Parts: sequence; C-alpha cells; structure tokens
Amino acid sequence: MRELYTYEKSRELFARAQKIIPSGIYGHQGPAEGCYMPVEAFPFYSERALGSRFWDVDGNEFLDYMCGYGPNVLGYNDPDVNAAADAQRAKSDCVTAPSPVMVDFADLLVDTVASADWAFFAKNGNDVTTLAVLTARAHTRRKKIVFFRGYYHGVSPWTQKIDYPGILPEEVANNVCLPWNDFQAIEDLFAREGDEVAAVIAQPYMHGNFADNELPAEGFWAHVRALCDKHGAVLIVDDVRAGFRLDLAGSDHYYGFRADLICFCKALANGYNVSALCGRRELMNTVSGISFTGSYWMSAVPFAAGIACIEKMKRLDLCALLRARGEALKTGLIAAGKKYGFDLHVSGELALPYLRIADDPTLSLHQEWIAECVRRGIFFTNHHNHFLNASLTEEDIRQTIDVADEAFAAVRARREA
Amino acid sequence: MKNTEERAMAFVNLYAVLGAIPRLCELDADAAALADQNVSIGFDVKGGPAATLSFGGGACRLSEGTAGCRIRLPISSCARFNGVVAGTVTPIPSRGFFKLGFLLKNFGGITKILESYLRPAPGALEDPDFFRRSTLLTRHVLVSAAAALGNTDTVARASASYIPDGSAEIAIGGEDSVWLSCRDHRLTAVFSRPDDVCAVMKFRDVHLARDIFDGRANSVACVGNGDVRIGGMIPMVDNINRIFDRVSVYLA
Repeated sequence: MRELYTYEKSRELFARAQKIIPSGIYGHQGPAEGCYMPVEAFPFYSERALGSRFWDVDGNEFLDYMCGYGPNVLGYNDPDVNAAADAQRAKSDCVTAPSPVMVDFADLLVDTVASADWAFFAKNGNDVTTLAVLTARAHTRRKKIVFFRGYYHGVSPWTQKIDYPGILPEEVANNVCLPWNDFQAIEDLFAREGDEVAAVIAQPYMHGNFADNELPAEGFWAHVRALCDKHGAVLIVDDVRAGFRLDLAGSDHYYGFRADLICFCKALANGYNVSALCGRRELMNTVSGISFTGSYWMSAVPFAAGIACIEKMKRLDLCALLRARGEALKTGLIAAGKKYGFDLHVSGELALPYLRIADDPTLSLHQEWIAECVRRGIFFTNHHNHFLNASLTEEDIRQTIDVADEAFAAVRARREA
Repeated sequence: MKNTEERAMAFVNLYAVLGAIPRLCELDADAAALADQNVSIGFDVKGGPAATLSFGGGACRLSEGTAGCRIRLPISSCARFNGVVAGTVTPIPSRGFFKLGFLLKNFGGITKILESYLRPAPGALEDPDFFRRSTLLTRHVLVSAAAALGNTDTVARASASYIPDGSAEIAIGGEDSVWLSCRDHRLTAVFSRPDDVCAVMKFRDVHLARDIFDGRANSVACVGNGDVRIGGMIPMVDNINRIFDRVSVYLA
C-alpha cells in the first residue's frame, strides 16, 4: 500500500497567493475550475517536471495525465526541443524585426498540415480561434457563428454564454448553439438562415466536460462540409486541444474532410508559447486585411521549439505511439475497475481519454476514485479529458494501473464499511 | 448595467421576499406574535405571479393562487406590484375590507421586521442571534429568488437550460440545508430533503455564508481553501452560481 500524499507547502503558498492573486490560482489550473474534489487530495504548485512526471513543492512525484492541459506532448523538458530553443535564444527572441525562423516554421506547418496553405502565429488558442471568427465574418460579411453544445473555444466574449459575468447579451447575440452529431438540426439551421451564417466552428470531436466524449458520427463531418460549401459558410476546426495527437496532418485530415481554417496551440511546441491559425489560400487575403497582433507573437524561440517539436513528432510516429499507449491504459483501467465492481467508461480518442465511473450518475463516486489516484501519485482530473505524451512508457502505464487498482480497492472498502 | 425584467422581479418579490415570511415567523417571536389572526392575503398580479400568504396561530404559509383568500389584492401590472413591495405604490383590496386592520398593522409590522433582517441596520449584525437569523433568512430569499429567476429571467433561464434534473443541496455548516430542485430545466426551492440530491455546495459557517451573500467573499475563491465545498454534479452547482449572480442584480 502506498503512503498517501499531503501538501503542506502547497497550502502555505496558496494562502499567500489568495491575498494577492484573484482566486489564488485562477482559471482551469485552479482548484475551483479544475474541479479539485475534495480539494485536500490535490497538489496546487509544481517545483519541477521531466518527461511524464512533475514534482510538487512538497516533493511528491506525480505521473501526469494532464500534460499542462495539453502542451506537454513529447515529455516535459524534452532535450531536443530545449536544445533548439536554447540555440535560438542565443541568437534572438523578441526583436523589432522578426527572425527568419518564423518563415521556416510557417513552411513546415504548410508542409505538415493537410488543410494549410498559410500560417499565422499568435500565443494562445483563444487568439487564433478569435482570428478565425474575425476572418469568417470579414470574408462572408455575415454575423452568425454556429457552435455545438459542450463547446470550448477560449475565453473571449464571443466564446462565452449570456450568463457569464461581464458578458453583454449583444456580444453573444449572433451565436447559435446546436446539438453535436445532429444532422437534422444543422440542416434545418442552414435551411432557415444559411445566408446569415458566417462560420461553423467545432472541435474535431465533442470533448466537452462532465460527459462522455463523443466521436463524430459516420458522415457527420461530410454533411457539415457540404452544408458550408452550399451556403458559403466558413468551416473552422478548433484543433487546439486534439491537434497533432490524432494526426500530424490535422484532425480534419484524420476524420476525412478539409477545414477552411484550423486552429492549433497546445501540442505545437511542447510547452513553448505559440499558437497558429492555418487555412486555405482563398482566405489568406482576408486575414492580411485584419488588424490583429500582439507584443510577443513573433518571438523567435517558440518558433524554433515548434520546428523541433514537429520534426520529433514525425520521427517518433507520435500518433501511433499515443494510440498504443492509450489502448493499454484504457484496457488496464477498465479491468482494474471491473475487479472491484466498478464500471469505468473511457471515451473519446485514445490519446485524449475521458474517464467516468458510470455506476453513480451524481459523479461523486468518480470524484472519490480520482482523489484516491491523485493521493497516490497519478495526476488524473475529475471531469476533463486527459492527455498522453510520447515519453509515457509501458512501465508508466503499469504503474498507473497498479495505483488505479489500489484506489478502486480503497473506494470499495469505504463504500462497504 | 442593471438589466432586470419587471416580470421576473415580480416573481422574486412574491416568492422570495414575501415568500420568506413563513420562515420569518419560525425564526422571530415578534413576527410570530403578529401572525396570530386567521387571515389570508392573496396577491394577484396581472401578467405575473399569484399567491396567498395565510396567517394564523403565530405561523404563516405560502400557497399558489388566490382562491379563497380573505383579503384579495388585485394588482394591474408586475411593475405596480414591484412598487407595492418597494413601498412606492399602495394596493387597494377588492375584498376583505373588514380585515384592513390586519393588512395595515400586522402585515405591515411583519414586513418591517422582515426588512430589518434582510437590510440590517448598522451594528445590528453584532448580535449573534440576530446575525444567525438574518443569514438564514437571506439564504431562504436567495434560494427562492434563484428558483424564481431560473424560471422567468432571460439570462438565468439560459443558466437553467444547462442544469440537469435533480436537486442541489445548499448547506451552511451547523445549520439545516435548503435545496434547489430542477426538473426539465424548471427550478423549485425546497426546504425539506428531497430524495434526488446529486450536488452539494456547502459553506463553512454562517459568517462565511454572510460574506458571500453580501459580496465580501467569492465562492469560487473559497473553494481553494475548502471554505466552500462543492461535489457531485458540478454543472448543477456551476449554473446555480451563475443564477445567484443574477439574484444579486435583482436584490441589490
């Protein structure tokens, strides 16, 4: 039996932070939005990270299945990516005139991503999803944007809902939200107001939180593509979360269609700070006419890191590797749950597994099991998809399943006590 | 940016503000003493809510509709009813003239006591008993207002559209819980434990609850140090929190 982790230093740091930082840790990496339940089970701050692991400020070691919520695709502190970044840093980073490495990076993306005729760089996923929507509206001169229920496309006002603090009804008045995989709903929408639709924006499959992730139904993307073509709407794929983990040519390529615009961020440079919007030739002029920029968007170090990351993902045959690891993880976790009478569902694509114990619709049982895993050094999260990375070994998977087994046993014992 | 809706405000005023009188009579002896006569007051708001407060024996209860009430107050619009509750409009009964004394003296007295708890005078909260009663009544109003707004206010209805069926427990350490139940995205405030609880939001104690109700603390920030506990079906808690944000706009 493993000793359960405690987090005294994390809590001391958090107490300091709460006095000077809103919520202590805001956003998805904070305890509220991150759904840390019970909060005592989770570390708040990391000290260092390497490969598939991070160590928190209390010295606890974690096998990390969140990968910084995605960016860690090769392993933390990957030596090849770091070497490329270090070499570029020795030359230049944030300079008045951009570095040639920006052009090299764009070239590589155009060569790698099936739907890319050009590339535009920014910093976060939200930057490029926002540019994609601006581009669609500028190109079509229409207002409406179609979303699918359970979506997440960033934090700008246009991505939010009418009931979010600080959002004006006018800012979301042209958002239309449809059920995922509902052929008829999108057909009806286009029949009714197709000449007002600027774009359909979607993740390649539904990886929303709090529910099993749902792959596209057979023919769904072809249907959406055909409707966009017929009505002159732009099809935007938000590949920020899944990008490069399913297919280095883009998740639209993986599912057999072509996006007009495709957004990348997380796995683009193994944690170095860059995002990209790629698209088809016909939209390039429109993007040229949009005023959209930022202080650090042309920094050279992340471009060099991105080139090294993409080249290494190709060398490793990353997507096949992640599928194999994901299959072993899925099989092992489901078997461990079954041993103790729990019905663990693993949904979504294998490289980004979403976990849910289906025996309890309130999700409390699932939260209890996740907490037991985290206290034993496997960093899972309650209600978000997980991320695999290339440095995860077969031995890591075995360790994960051992811990999951022990955690299931602890939950079962408590339930029967 | 106040952007409240008159009809939604009328539901809040009837079901949450006046709807807190039954709980007030349980918590406050002076209010209970004024509720000694068997009199019922029906509020019938055109285009809005209709409900009756029935008094007697030191207690009060709220029921739907105005059938059989002793004093009936027909009110021509939601805006006028909101004026009645704000004290800027005087209602005229259509029946029950002989009970006007109760309406003016007893009911007026009860609403004054209610106001003293919901908008306490400076220093009043230093009395620990008053503080506790005020906080419990405030929670009662907030939960009832959340249900009213989740069913009527445009923005809160958007939040309710994301709430699954079931009940969320809203607990304050050491006190009885209250619940918000949802069925087909319609909300109901519930004051005895339902059998379909699937989410919980628990405040450490009445002091923290008060700070959150009064806007001096934020429930999201308090999750990190365990002062607010959340668990179970989180979309329920998350969207109820968004409706509480709307409640604060209406009750400001």
